[in-house]
Amino acid sequence: MSAPFLHVENLGIQFGPTDNPLKAVDGISFDLAAGETLAVVGESGSGKSVTALALTRLLATPPARYVSGKIEFEGRNMLTIPEDELRKVRGKQIAYIFQEPSSSLNPVFTIGFQIQEAIELHRPEVRDVRGEIVCALERVGIRQPAERLGDYPHQLSGGMQQRVMIAMALACQPKLLVADEPTTALDVTIQKQIMDLLKELKQTSNMTVLLITHNFGLVADFADRVLVMFRGRIVESGPTAEVLRNPQHPYTRALIECVPKLGQKQRRLKVIDYAGIE
Amino acid sequence: MTTYILRRLLLIIPTLFGITLLTFLLVRLAPGNAALLKGGGGEGGGRAMTAEQRLATIKLYGLDKPPLVAYVDWVGRIARLDLGESWIDHRSVTAKIGERIGLTASIAGSALVLSYLIAIPLGVTAALRRGQGIDRVLTFILFLLYSIPNFAAALLLILFVAGGDYLNLLPMYGINSINASEMGTWGWIWDRILHMILPVVCLTYASLASISRYARVSMLEVLGQDFLRTARAKGLSERVVILRHALRNALIPLITIFTLELPVLIGGSVIIETIFSLPGMGQLMLQSLENRDNPTIMGITVLAALVTLGSYLIADILYVVVDPRMKYE
Amino acid sequence: MSTNPPVITNETYAHRVARRFQADAFARNGLRMVIFLFILATLAPFLANSHALIRVTDGQTSFPIFLSLDPIEWRFLIYVPLGGVVYLLRRRLLTHWRIALCLVVAVIALVEIVLAYSHPINDPTNDRDRAASFKLLPPIPYSPIETTRDQFAPPSWKHPCGTDSTGRDIAARMLHGARTSLSIGFVSQSIALFIGIVLGGLAGYYRGWTDIAVCRFIEIMDCFPSLLLILVIIGIFESQNNMFVIMAVIGFTSWTGVARLVRAEFLRLSVQPFTLAAQAIGATDLRVILRHLLPNSLGPILVVGTFGVASAILIESSLSFLGFGMQAPTPSWGDILNESRRYIDFAWWLAFFPGLAILITIMSYNFVGEGLRDAVDPRLRLK
Repeated sequence: MSAPFLHVENLGIQFGPTDNPLKAVDGISFDLAAGETLAVVGESGSGKSVTALALTRLLATPPARYVSGKIEFEGRNMLTIPEDELRKVRGKQIAYIFQEPSSSLNPVFTIGFQIQEAIELHRPEVRDVRGEIVCALERVGIRQPAERLGDYPHQLSGGMQQRVMIAMALACQPKLLVADEPTTALDVTIQKQIMDLLKELKQTSNMTVLLITHNFGLVADFADRVLVMFRGRIVESGPTAEVLRNPQHPYTRALIECVPKLGQKQRRLKVIDYAGIE
Repeated sequence: MTTYILRRLLLIIPTLFGITLLTFLLVRLAPGNAALLKGGGGEGGGRAMTAEQRLATIKLYGLDKPPLVAYVDWVGRIARLDLGESWIDHRSVTAKIGERIGLTASIAGSALVLSYLIAIPLGVTAALRRGQGIDRVLTFILFLLYSIPNFAAALLLILFVAGGDYLNLLPMYGINSINASEMGTWGWIWDRILHMILPVVCLTYASLASISRYARVSMLEVLGQDFLRTARAKGLSERVVILRHALRNALIPLITIFTLELPVLIGGSVIIETIFSLPGMGQLMLQSLENRDNPTIMGITVLAALVTLGSYLIADILYVVVDPRMKYE
Repeated sequence: MSTNPPVITNETYAHRVARRFQADAFARNGLRMVIFLFILATLAPFLANSHALIRVTDGQTSFPIFLSLDPIEWRFLIYVPLGGVVYLLRRRLLTHWRIALCLVVAVIALVEIVLAYSHPINDPTNDRDRAASFKLLPPIPYSPIETTRDQFAPPSWKHPCGTDSTGRDIAARMLHGARTSLSIGFVSQSIALFIGIVLGGLAGYYRGWTDIAVCRFIEIMDCFPSLLLILVIIGIFESQNNMFVIMAVIGFTSWTGVARLVRAEFLRLSVQPFTLAAQAIGATDLRVILRHLLPNSLGPILVVGTFGVASAILIESSLSFLGFGMQAPTPSWGDILNESRRYIDFAWWLAFFPGLAILITIMSYNFVGEGLRDAVDPRLRLK
């Protein structure tokens, strides 16, 4: 068998003082096959976003420190390859969507320019850059894309901004899309639209997707497999349906119970009992 | 944006009113002018005034009229750029200012441009190396520069590099050497540049220090923004991320900083032009103050206030033009 | 992930500010320097004086220095112990602060009245040449206004900072000049703080037309370059060399920064729940402002006040330098620099030492201000 698409082994990332470090990611390992959709679920601070950013060394060092392990993407260790090689992976092979679209887009450049930057960098062969940008915007469901090219991010709604982020991420046809809490900052109705869009794009382009979320509700009909992270470690993993049906770890159970279900009356929101978990 | 600019222009009216009223009150209350009415005083720099000049001054400030009428008259005169006649040489104040304003504007202007040009790279460098040695050293040096009074700096520079017992690299006083007219065009220009170095340096360093401190803070704020992560995730090189994505954002707040520096530069040019004997507006101001030449003093004061007001207006409009977030609100 | 439990202490806000301030080396040393300058300024008559501290002649012991002090010098000496007494009794006084205030005002008034009627004993002679069986001279045995035949003496053991064109000792002039600078800095900033707090507070609390009017007023004042406006007022009213007018003029022209800040703070604080709560139980506007808003904006006010003292000192020395501030014989740093202009090609010490003194003073205040700002409110951090 050839090298796996993405292979993470014993990854350790720390912040803070070396003598009393904050272990954001504490020796995690997982594999991701091409075409697969993996969801990483956990509460804020569980290390899931740090893991996502670490895939292309996007964490600033300092304050972060990569203390152990390796991240092999198509056989190359992302933690050790030189910076200029890495830049060819970023955006081209592995693209990102972030949590807060309004602050993730540069306020002083038009959305057209911000997409253009990515295309010009990774696909120099494209002649009709403008047409390509229009195409990318169209794909994410932005109406009259040609007229929106000159718009600045703040002129768009949050949902539209996130669509632009997705268009930008997909403009270079990446092999892996890392969606880091793509819907957390959006209204519930918009969340649904964005998730539907991602699902549709995933199917049409046969992309591998790594979805980072704290919301089990999003995972059910989106991901093939689930990883549950708690305090920097993976506490449970497995096929989505199985984990949802029969959660093993008390933390997973608690997380699943946090999702309010339709047609079910709840007196108050579940609070996670950490003492019971540890 | 048009409504914003219109609203901004409307807000100028009360300020203009206030500026003219304040200067008018100063004139009315000035003991020298009050003495004129009584027929005495009016000794412009020890020179007795003729009855004719006394009448002209009374007319200029409407000293014999009720305050309100006099004020309206005074505003009308300012609007027509009629600032009266100097008590010293009886020339029109407008003309006197006119022949000196160019030098002051060019010195203060070059100081402002220079301080921006040097300050921004310094501030950005310090921000990028936050907390490291170079940041600490830069911060300390800028703090030191910021705290040196410009007159002390001017004197010490003259002492150590222009004449004095030490180096004699640069000319000490004036805008040109005595024999400058014999030097030919290029020689003359070079001579002028040599004479301008020290005054410009003395006006520049304090503005430089304060602008680069602002630049550093502004850059630090931008460096923590999410969109830089997006730019890096796209695969852009660190150079492009910093110089294009970060810098563009960091520069926007710096546009308005020059309005803070302008009054300092105007005040500074009084000191610097006096020390270096430069025939600019600042020197004229001090001479007029020493000679109690009230029309000239008031003329320069009104002008300085109007220039500052104009700079506020320009800064506010520039801000809207440069920041796309403001454009469509 | 290792969790660090939140640290709960009963540390007060003031203590936290003090601790953060202490952690900043620049701020700490700046404050030390400021205190040192104050001590120097207070003790100036004892550090630089032509009269002996103690003199024993013909078996008779006398203290000539005390006979030679001016009323203004006595005042300086009395305020410092007064401040110390108030500080030591602060806990007892705080509970009866009205009584304390009355006491302080009464003592100050008494001192002023007594000093107004007492006349200085003018003793032009000096004790350096006077024969005595024992005499203890101050470290710098020259008074600031005393001329000697030693003109343009470069720095030496005798005159550590040299002498000027009339043979006055520069070190003595600088020590006494520190009093001029510091008192002008403090008094003018007190005036500026008062005006700024009142106007800014009114604008921030009442909003609406009051706010618009105050903001226009601030903009009008800001349009005049402050040094220019101060020069014009002092020049037109011919009040150079009048310390109180200079203090007042600097104060009346440098309140806009304080007003802006207080306005912004009051705008922010007046919609906070605790203000609304106070208003809801029927507290008067004055009570809300004095008890709730003002104490909560004291930190930032202190910060602008500190920077303000630095800029007032700079303005004062600029005025003296241009000949519109305090002038000889009153010692002032700016005035020494002004005189140095004529002799700049050889008498470097005339420019160097007072320039250095101004630099150190302003820098210390700026360090203290910067440290205070960081300690008071990390949001305002400029570092």
